[in-house]
Amino acid sequence: MKAMNRRKLISVSAVLAVASLAATAVPAQAAEVGVTSSEIKLGMTLPMTGSASLGYNKIPGAAKAYFDYLNANGGVNGRKITLIVKDDRYVPTEAVAKTNELILKDKVMALLAPLGTANVKAVASSVNPAKRGVPVLFVNTGFSGFADAKKYPTHYSILPSYQMEAKIMGKYIAENLAGKKIGLLYQDDDFGSDALAGFKTAGTTFAVKVPYASGSQSAATAAGWITKFKAAEVDVVILFGVTSASLYMLATAAALKYAPQWMIDSVGGDSTTLKLAGVPAGVLYNAIGFSPVPATTDLTDEYIKLFSEIYAKAVPGSAFDLNVLLGMNSAFMTAQALKAAGPNPTRNSLMAVLNTNGASLFNSALSPVGYSGTSHVGLTGEWVGKYSPTGDLLPIGGTYTTYITDSGAGAVVKSTYKRPAMPAKGLPN
Amino acid sequence: MHKLRSIHHFGLFVVFGFILFLASNRVDELRVYQGASVAVFVIAIASLILLTGYSGQVSVGQGALMALGAYGAAVVRNELHVPILLSFFVAVLVAAVGGALLGAAAARLSGPYLAGTTLALAIGIPPLANQFSILGGEQGLAFDVGNPPARLGEDFTQYKWFFWIAALAALISMWLLSNILRSRYGRNWRAGRSNEVAAQLSGINTGRSKILAFTLSAGIAGLAGALLSMTIGTVSPSAFTYNLSLMLLAGAFVSGVSTLSGVMIGAVVLVGIPEIADVVANRIGSSENISTNLPGFLNYALLILTVLFVPNGPVEQHHARQARKAAMKKIKSLPKPSMEGNT
Amino acid sequence: MIQFINTTLIGITAGSIYALMAIALVLVWRSTRVINFAQARMALLSTYFGYEAMVRTNSFWIALLVAMLGGGLFAAIIELVFMRFLLKRSASGPIASVAPIIATLGLYGVIRAVTASIWGGQELQIVAPVSNVGYSIGTETLVFSPLKLLILISVGVLVLLLSLLFQKTNIGLALRASAFSPEIASLSGIKVDLVRTLGWSLAGAVGAMAGMFQTVDGTGTFSPDSIGFTLLFVSGFIAAVIGGLESLVGAVIGGLLLGLVISFVLMYISSSLFFIAPFLVLLLVLFIRPQGIIGVKAARRA
Repeated sequence: MKAMNRRKLISVSAVLAVASLAATAVPAQAAEVGVTSSEIKLGMTLPMTGSASLGYNKIPGAAKAYFDYLNANGGVNGRKITLIVKDDRYVPTEAVAKTNELILKDKVMALLAPLGTANVKAVASSVNPAKRGVPVLFVNTGFSGFADAKKYPTHYSILPSYQMEAKIMGKYIAENLAGKKIGLLYQDDDFGSDALAGFKTAGTTFAVKVPYASGSQSAATAAGWITKFKAAEVDVVILFGVTSASLYMLATAAALKYAPQWMIDSVGGDSTTLKLAGVPAGVLYNAIGFSPVPATTDLTDEYIKLFSEIYAKAVPGSAFDLNVLLGMNSAFMTAQALKAAGPNPTRNSLMAVLNTNGASLFNSALSPVGYSGTSHVGLTGEWVGKYSPTGDLLPIGGTYTTYITDSGAGAVVKSTYKRPAMPAKGLPN
Repeated sequence: MHKLRSIHHFGLFVVFGFILFLASNRVDELRVYQGASVAVFVIAIASLILLTGYSGQVSVGQGALMALGAYGAAVVRNELHVPILLSFFVAVLVAAVGGALLGAAAARLSGPYLAGTTLALAIGIPPLANQFSILGGEQGLAFDVGNPPARLGEDFTQYKWFFWIAALAALISMWLLSNILRSRYGRNWRAGRSNEVAAQLSGINTGRSKILAFTLSAGIAGLAGALLSMTIGTVSPSAFTYNLSLMLLAGAFVSGVSTLSGVMIGAVVLVGIPEIADVVANRIGSSENISTNLPGFLNYALLILTVLFVPNGPVEQHHARQARKAAMKKIKSLPKPSMEGNT
Repeated sequence: MIQFINTTLIGITAGSIYALMAIALVLVWRSTRVINFAQARMALLSTYFGYEAMVRTNSFWIALLVAMLGGGLFAAIIELVFMRFLLKRSASGPIASVAPIIATLGLYGVIRAVTASIWGGQELQIVAPVSNVGYSIGTETLVFSPLKLLILISVGVLVLLLSLLFQKTNIGLALRASAFSPEIASLSGIKVDLVRTLGWSLAGAVGAMAGMFQTVDGTGTFSPDSIGFTLLFVSGFIAAVIGGLESLVGAVIGGLLLGLVISFVLMYISSSLFFIAPFLVLLLVLFIRPQGIIGVKAARRA
């Protein structure tokens, strides 16, 4: 009796399973996947919800704001760009599942700005965009490995790597803060170890290094960090962590009347985000900061001006911060690459554009991207700034001086790159 | 009689396996991948059914045990270059050892105390990967099961290979598990769960029985963990958050935690609901706020509905209904008592 | 020396917030024998209530009151409408222990989604009523401020009031009786159902206090996905289990113990042990006393 029921149940499950598996339509063939005569579909996976989503969940809105502006002005060779965004909650299994949906079900032409080293690696390994020939543009992480065109032939980095930033910081310290005692706050995973490697290349020595476990950032743990820095009596404290780490550090330092010379990394140093999250402007004042793109509050910069206007119209009430700027910048570069790929763009022609002419793509950053057939290195430099009394990051000396380097043992040099003028109205020409 | 039963069940599994093999050749790659994920969840949920449903020990930490297995497999494969099959065995072994230790520590705990301990484990284990460079840190370790053998043809995709491996592992482990659950050990667990004192009085060493349950359950979870890593090609802490442990518990619940028969239902729900929620959210397509949060809402709302309306799991519910029907039939077929009586 | 003092102070203040959440969980457990996985999310929702009040009145105290009342009311509604129905349906069988976990887990996700849908994902600010600047001893600044002192005092007052409620009032007697033996309690005229709702309601209010204090003690800002609230439940739960789940004093002890241990481990051993430390503390305590520090051994039924 029971066996009968069990057999019935298993058979029913089997039939259901097969039926559901088979219930997927076979796609119609298009000229290129994700490209029709009127539309180009792009896909993005990133944490939209969950504790890793803070700040990053503004990126889709930013990219869409630019794409909507672009579409309203004729699109790319007559095609509108549609961005499909899926939430992966910073979990690699979900990143893989959602990317599968984007590529296999939604049939996007390319992936844009996926976030998180572990997630992008999992997707590279499992979904294998390289094997499928799917371009993965402007990967949103500072991991230097995605620049290796041999290992990741269809991935393109954008952000300067953690090693690059650490080396630039090290150079600034050697030139301006020699003899001072330096303390470092870093995340105890690859983010941090990459930074340590960069500092080592730069020859920086630390009086104390304070790691924090990723996810443990809080007022209490920040108080613990400060206690350690105080005990070591450092003059300079480098914050090389995510936004929430610098956030708690600075807020708690204010409460504990601790005011060393702060040096904040680009990821954790966006002044708009920090101030909105409760860091008093007075604490930021005179801190040293770094960024590959112009300061988000610098409305004299033509890119910042245009992008913040577009964003303010598209998402009223939302602050224009670093994540928004980077999101719009990547969207802008994508649009140009698509346009340059010709009237009938294909995945291959898109990547060919990046590989041969990537460096000539207009973008708001103050260093050029270094794409070539053999390297998919993105931005290679950052400028050094100091936070103003109102807590905004401004270039030291009033003009942007960008330092460029590589992720390896190369030296840090002043860049002679002069950023070309923005194309009219911020549209690809 | 028993032998006949076993062969009969084995036959069922073989048939089912053949059906899956046929199915994998006809469906879209996305569904094949999801099939592999379902197989992984089947194994993971089954481990919970054993631990919680049969042995009565509520664990909110299966994710950590999965992580143990996954890291064991990856490290052994990367450092010692062992064949895939061996790395899966190592996964089971490493996780089982962890489970044995945990079981020994937790044998005296019950209910919320056990839940708290396993939850603390679920949170504490994955970040340990950042401490030892051999474990790859946050970026993770690569776990590559290799390409499908060449003789299967050019068109044999990586995902189909994953599906075959995962499905085979699921079939074998489900067959083994159902036999174990039907054996003396299964009966001992059930006895210990219903009334520990009575079980002890009838000669069962409940302490040892509980530890055995933990060990076995952990080993199975470890296998699931290794298979999960196979499907995403990496092992990293962020793949084993405590949210995973909670979802597994939910999946076990939806399956009907006290019986193995419904295990596929829970697995399909765990894999399918996020996609359905996404699709529904897109259809409704309202403000940014709502569409971002709608999938999460639907996910959890379904959980609540299941708890409220199918608390014993669909299989038990179904059996209960059958039993009721049969009982009603029997009552109706009883001879009517004579009105005269014997007074 | 100052490092040691500060480490202790850090532990105590963090622990006091854990203690608040632990108290809430203990209240729910004692009244309905359920672990409410959604407790921290309900605290988050209550913090939003407090924020709305803050925006309109600019007073933290009114905001706190509104948060606690709102939190209590919401919790009561959940118990009345949801938990009661659930517990009736799943009263027996192996799922009896698992069902409430799953149900409150579902609640957790639903509350989060609804909160984020209504208020959006951005950070909102709540300003503390007193300064959070540390007291100074000579040139050294202590990790202890008027705000942290306020939090400690509030926890103390709360425990005192709740203890008085439980020990000295009829309602308290009813609460204890219903937890101890629902059948006998209802036989002697206690409306057990009402009492259970009251237990949840108190827990909701206490949780709200935890949420508000955690927010102002941190950066003053919060959002649906704040790291703080994510860990609040786990820390509270572990603290409650350490303390034994049966007494409020145990919850406070558990919270303080957890806070202190984590603080010392992070300061003197390694910050990377942040996530595994709670597990080790729990294991140690439960090994020595499986029912927690002040837990009561279940009565023999033989």
